[in-house]
Amino acid sequence: MTTATVPLTSTASVRTPWTEFWRKFKRQHAAVIAGVFVLLLVTLAILAPWIVPYDAENFFDYDSLNARPSWKHWFGVDPLGRDILSRLLMGARISLTAGFVSVAVGAIVGTVLGLVAGYREGWWDRIIMRLCDVLFAFPGILLAIGIVAILGGGMINVIIAVAIFSIPTFARLVRGNTLSLKHLTYVEAARSVGASDWTIVMRHIFPGTIAAVVVYFSLRIGTSIITAASLSFIGLGAQPPTPEWGAMLNEARSDMMTSPHVAIFPSLAIFFTVLAFNLLGDGLRDALDPKIDRR
Amino acid sequence: MKIKSHSMLFAALAVGAAMAVPAYAAKDVVFAVASQFTTTDPYDANDTLSQAMAKSFYEGLFGFDKDMKVIPVLAESYTASKDGLVYTIKLKKGIKFHDGTDFKADAVKANLDRVTNPENKLKRYGLYNNNIAKTEAVDDSTARITLKTPFSAFINQLAHPSTVMISPTALAKYGNKDIAFNPVGTGPFKFVEWKQTDYLKVAKNENYWQKGLPKVDSITWKPVIDSNSRAAVMQTGEAQFTYPLPYEQAETLKAKADLDVVAAPSIILRYLSMNTQQKPFDNPKVRQAIAYAINKEAVAKIAFSGYATPADGIVPEGVEYSVKIGVMPYDVAKAKQLLTEAGYPNGFETELWSGYNHSIAQKLTQVLQQQLQQIGIRTKITLLEAGQRVEKVESWQDPATAPVRLYYIGWSSSTGEADWAIRPLLASDSWPPKLFNTAYYKSDKVDGDIKSALLTTDKTEKAKFYKDAQESIYKDAPWVPLVTEKLLSAKSKRLSGVYTMPDGSFDIINVDLK
Amino acid sequence: MLQYIVRRLLGLIPTLLIVAVLVFMFVHLLPGDPARLAAGPDATPATVALVRQDLGLDKPLPEQFIRFATGVLRGDFGRSLRTKRPVSTEIAERFMPTMWLTVAAMAWSVLIGMAIGTLSAVWRNRWPDRVGMTLAVSGISFPAFALGMLLMQIFAVQLNWLPTVGADTWRHYILPSVTLGAAVAAIMARFTRSSFVEILQDDYIRTARAKGLPETVVVVKHGLRNALIPVVTMMGLQFGFLLGGSIVVEVVFNWPGMGRLLIDAVDMRDYPVIQGLVLLFSVEFILINLIVDVLYAVINPTIRYR
Repeated sequence: MTTATVPLTSTASVRTPWTEFWRKFKRQHAAVIAGVFVLLLVTLAILAPWIVPYDAENFFDYDSLNARPSWKHWFGVDPLGRDILSRLLMGARISLTAGFVSVAVGAIVGTVLGLVAGYREGWWDRIIMRLCDVLFAFPGILLAIGIVAILGGGMINVIIAVAIFSIPTFARLVRGNTLSLKHLTYVEAARSVGASDWTIVMRHIFPGTIAAVVVYFSLRIGTSIITAASLSFIGLGAQPPTPEWGAMLNEARSDMMTSPHVAIFPSLAIFFTVLAFNLLGDGLRDALDPKIDRR
Repeated sequence: MKIKSHSMLFAALAVGAAMAVPAYAAKDVVFAVASQFTTTDPYDANDTLSQAMAKSFYEGLFGFDKDMKVIPVLAESYTASKDGLVYTIKLKKGIKFHDGTDFKADAVKANLDRVTNPENKLKRYGLYNNNIAKTEAVDDSTARITLKTPFSAFINQLAHPSTVMISPTALAKYGNKDIAFNPVGTGPFKFVEWKQTDYLKVAKNENYWQKGLPKVDSITWKPVIDSNSRAAVMQTGEAQFTYPLPYEQAETLKAKADLDVVAAPSIILRYLSMNTQQKPFDNPKVRQAIAYAINKEAVAKIAFSGYATPADGIVPEGVEYSVKIGVMPYDVAKAKQLLTEAGYPNGFETELWSGYNHSIAQKLTQVLQQQLQQIGIRTKITLLEAGQRVEKVESWQDPATAPVRLYYIGWSSSTGEADWAIRPLLASDSWPPKLFNTAYYKSDKVDGDIKSALLTTDKTEKAKFYKDAQESIYKDAPWVPLVTEKLLSAKSKRLSGVYTMPDGSFDIINVDLK
Repeated sequence: MLQYIVRRLLGLIPTLLIVAVLVFMFVHLLPGDPARLAAGPDATPATVALVRQDLGLDKPLPEQFIRFATGVLRGDFGRSLRTKRPVSTEIAERFMPTMWLTVAAMAWSVLIGMAIGTLSAVWRNRWPDRVGMTLAVSGISFPAFALGMLLMQIFAVQLNWLPTVGADTWRHYILPSVTLGAAVAAIMARFTRSSFVEILQDDYIRTARAKGLPETVVVVKHGLRNALIPVVTMMGLQFGFLLGGSIVVEVVFNWPGMGRLLIDAVDMRDYPVIQGLVLLFSVEFILINLIVDVLYAVINPTIRYR
């Protein structure tokens, strides 16, 4: 574990940590496919404004409400006469950004807190965990309303709400790992040779928590997309006509019995995106964790 | 008397699942409704649903039939004095409360005294205290009510579902607050139990004064909050009646062999108000441009799946003294021209708020946005959640800084009369936070008409004042009247005698189950 | 250990105090005047003033807080602004339905999740793993409200096998607990798997294998035990989430629980109910976290609590 990134066997010439990671990662076909999917999605999201067949918000055709998929509208038309494909593509920008940013903020803050709490224990631990308890005690919806109350409605606040309620989860997770790692022999050894706290945490403990954080990060991106949808469901999500996927699915709610395609395509978009992030997360995890070397 | 909304958190109802019943089948009807009851005390309720439910055990002196016409209930007849100040009401005889006591004029006095006493802190205090000076029991079957000022809509107010007769004995026994958990009235059903989270149950009043009624043994009122779930319980037979049914599901439920889908007329008007005190909406041309730019047919078709008709005036048909003026035409070219004349050839940006955040409002505001964008008006939609609505619209203290611009909302006059359809919404002394004039509309002419109409008891005079008021409002266009919606309910084919009334309340007295 | 538990329990007090202050400030920060909401849009200012007085909201904030705090100490959480009933009654009535739903969801999802996770780890990258993880991912890839409505449509409306709404019999529990537990099962499966995979690579497992112990013994005795740590953390977290976070499921299935109470309370700005619920949620969380920490020590004796 201390020799984390140093290859033990070598057939290739020079092995940087990066090539080592890539060597392991590319053997996992599912993860590679998922990675390609995510890249494709990100590309589509970036290019969306130039490639959408119709204007996602302002194009409308009142004569073909809820029209089924056709050559003209590949994914059909929604109850307001808009092209679903165009909205999904534009929505990819919003949903991906929201998912990534909110989880990133939550993960960074949470990891730092978790490391401090787990490593220092004592008062630090108590205070940080207490803060987490307090955060936890506020159910997401309350937090969301509070944030909307203070900052006003809309997507940004959904992102902030999701970020905030990701923090304690990451903090507890990292703390749990830190607690068990710091009593392992190599950490005790590092301490006994007089390594500074900073070195111990950054070199020996933090890497040991990455795997768990990455796994949870991947899960959480999906969760945050779904949380945004749930906020829409209780009336606190993105404001219309934002084509955020969750909001699209929520808007399709009452029409989905009569015109299933209105709900199916946003569901599939959410489903495959979450799936891809999870598979990718698994792959990253296996490739990042030096202990795992499967033959 | 209350803003109507039909989705997750407001209005509705459904009738009777037969719960595993013995051989001779006690007829239990389950009404599934869209939100929880706030109270059983109509004087302390502000939601149509709680008041509608309370009609299973309470009755008023007057009431509305299913077309919102005033009918006497516990009253036999009434006379008003010439000056419009004194109302003498003859009561029916031989009616008993559920606790066995007789219904007499002292009950009228006890109930009206209770609500007009500020000590009791009842939510309907304002409705009565403004006009009732005193109530007297002349003899057992005669009550006399004296008003502070003439108020010609007074009988309509007595017919309002909050004016009910609670047993004075029970009131004395349980007190002002606990009466809400132990309602005792004269109605067709007796209160059985209220499990707040789950249901409220009432059972047949064997000694009901109208012979042959009620025809079922009990009613279970069950709140089912999610509208799709309400459609589901109808299809599984767990409930026999539901209102409101989501418009999008009408076709699905119509196809079921054992269900009827009923679309009933309403007096619920949906409109878009414009803040006339703020630029650019202070310019009548801008307001007219907006009115021309909106295709009301499209609004009805998309947001209400066709279960709404374009509004043809300021006060919807079915409300007394309403005047049919005509649908504001949809004419984009004219709208653009008006906007250019007003000095906004390229349009402008503004806020579009909705007082509800349910799915109909979601669709409707987006339709409005699409249409306004055609004439260059770019809007930012915000669906206000209840607290935000109160904060940013209803309780905003200073009219000069009110942030509301375009505002989508609705209203139904629960007194069934033009006064309550115009005064709270358009009189200049009804600006928030007092009442609900979200357009901050001020017209001396309209104010004058409203005042004069209230002072006269002559029906033709009144009709003239109200006609004049409605026409000037229409011309000034502080609003775009959008649609009058239809009330969509679903019921089991076995069920009869339940109607949705035009204000979104229910008429259940004849309910029967085959 | 006992000392540790006692200390943690004492630690409850400041946390709850912080929560109480925060939640009190928080509810008063919420936009919207509860008196106005309760009185309704057609109420006159005089009526609103009366209602405000009735609800005790006309007093200065510090006074309201002191009243709230001293009330809580005596076990009195005040009365609901909406129904006028004691908050404790309101919450008590809804506590058990939510509790049982949570337990039901938790029970099946932990069992299934751990089973799938273990199988996936043992047969890593083979078909049981792929099937298991696909299932797990599906569980978290669908918003609960959509899953709930789909299940209701299929099993209640179309097939008529199960009831749609309410919480009367065990049959009422099936659909909501499946909806609620799907995400948890998925998360449990993934955590068990990743934790297990890591453990199975460890030296002592290799040693155990080298000693010639049967694979089942290796997996169950040595692997499962150590793999449990992150799994237990996750379980605790998820349990807490479910207790407070079943809002969406409770709305879809019309569940008479605390989630719906909270939604209604927030909607009507029912301050005392929000305060009571949040305090309750935080007590639950703290207790669950304490249990989790104690379980850590039980599972892994190398963790020392001072």
